[in-house]
Amino acid sequence: MANKSKKEGESGEEGGEFADFMADISLEIAQRVESLNPKPKAPPAEKKKTPAPPDAGLIVEWPNIADRMIEEMR
Amino acid sequence: MSVVNYGTREITCKIVYYGPGRSGKTTNLQYIYSQLPEERKGKMVSLATDTDRTLFFDFLPLDLGTISGFATRFQLYTVPGQVYYAATRKLVLQGVDGVVFVADSQSRQLAENIESLQDLHENLADEGLDPRTIPLVMQYNKRDLPAGEISPIEELDETLNFRDVPYFSATAINGGGVFETLRSVASLVLSRLSAPATRDS
Repeated sequence: MANKSKKEGESGEEGGEFADFMADISLEIAQRVESLNPKPKAPPAEKKKTPAPPDAGLIVEWPNIADRMIEEMR
Repeated sequence: MSVVNYGTREITCKIVYYGPGRSGKTTNLQYIYSQLPEERKGKMVSLATDTDRTLFFDFLPLDLGTISGFATRFQLYTVPGQVYYAATRKLVLQGVDGVVFVADSQSRQLAENIESLQDLHENLADEGLDPRTIPLVMQYNKRDLPAGEISPIEELDETLNFRDVPYFSATAINGGGVFETLRSVASLVLSRLSAPATRDS
C-alpha cells in the first residue's frame, strides 16, 4: 500500500493535518456508532386471542359422553 | 478492546507506537502534538533520559471532542525501544486497541526491527491478544536518509510485514507520513469497535 507523503511546508499550519484527520475520523465514528447503536427493544407483541366463533357459549350439540355423565350425576 | 459506551457516551481507544530504539516513535507523537490546535493541546507526558532516549513511555491524550454525541479520546503511547525495558513494554501494551510498528529504514537496523517485531508478538500473546488479528500498521521511518543507507520499502515490507497490513513510508522528523499512519490505525481500530454487552456497562 502506498502512502501519500505529506506536502512540504504543511507543518505548523493551524492544525491543518489534524483538521483533516478529524474530518475523516468523525465520519467513521459517526457511521460506526450508528451501526452499533442498540435499538430499544420493541414492546412484546400482545398475544392474539383466538377469535371466538360467533356462537361461542352456545352448545349446539352434546357429545354422547357428556350425555352419559349428566345422566350419571342425576 | 475499545468499546462504544452508550451509558457514559464515551469512546476511548488506546494506540501504542512500538519499534526498536531510536526508530522515531517519540518523534511521531511529538509531531502529532505540534499539529494540535491550542484548544485541544493537553499535556504530552514524556519521560526521557539526558540523551533523549525514552525512559519509560510517552503518553499523548488526544481529546477529539464530542463526535456523534460521544466524548471521543485516543490515547497514544510509545514504548521504550531498548531491549532491557521489556517489562515496561508489556505494561504499556495492556489494553491496547491498535499498534503502529515504527521500523527504522536503515539497512543496519534490520536485525533490530525483526527483534522488536518478535518482541511485540510475544508481548501481545502474553497479554492474551492475538498478534495475527490486532489492528496493526507498519511505518517505515527515516526515508529522508541517503538511499545508500536505507533499505528499499519493498525489501522492508517483505521482511517485516508478513500480515500484509497497511504500511507507510515516513520522515517523522518533519511530519511526513505521520498523520497518514495515525489515520490508518485509527480506522482499523474503529472498525473493530464493539457495543458493550449491556447499555449501562
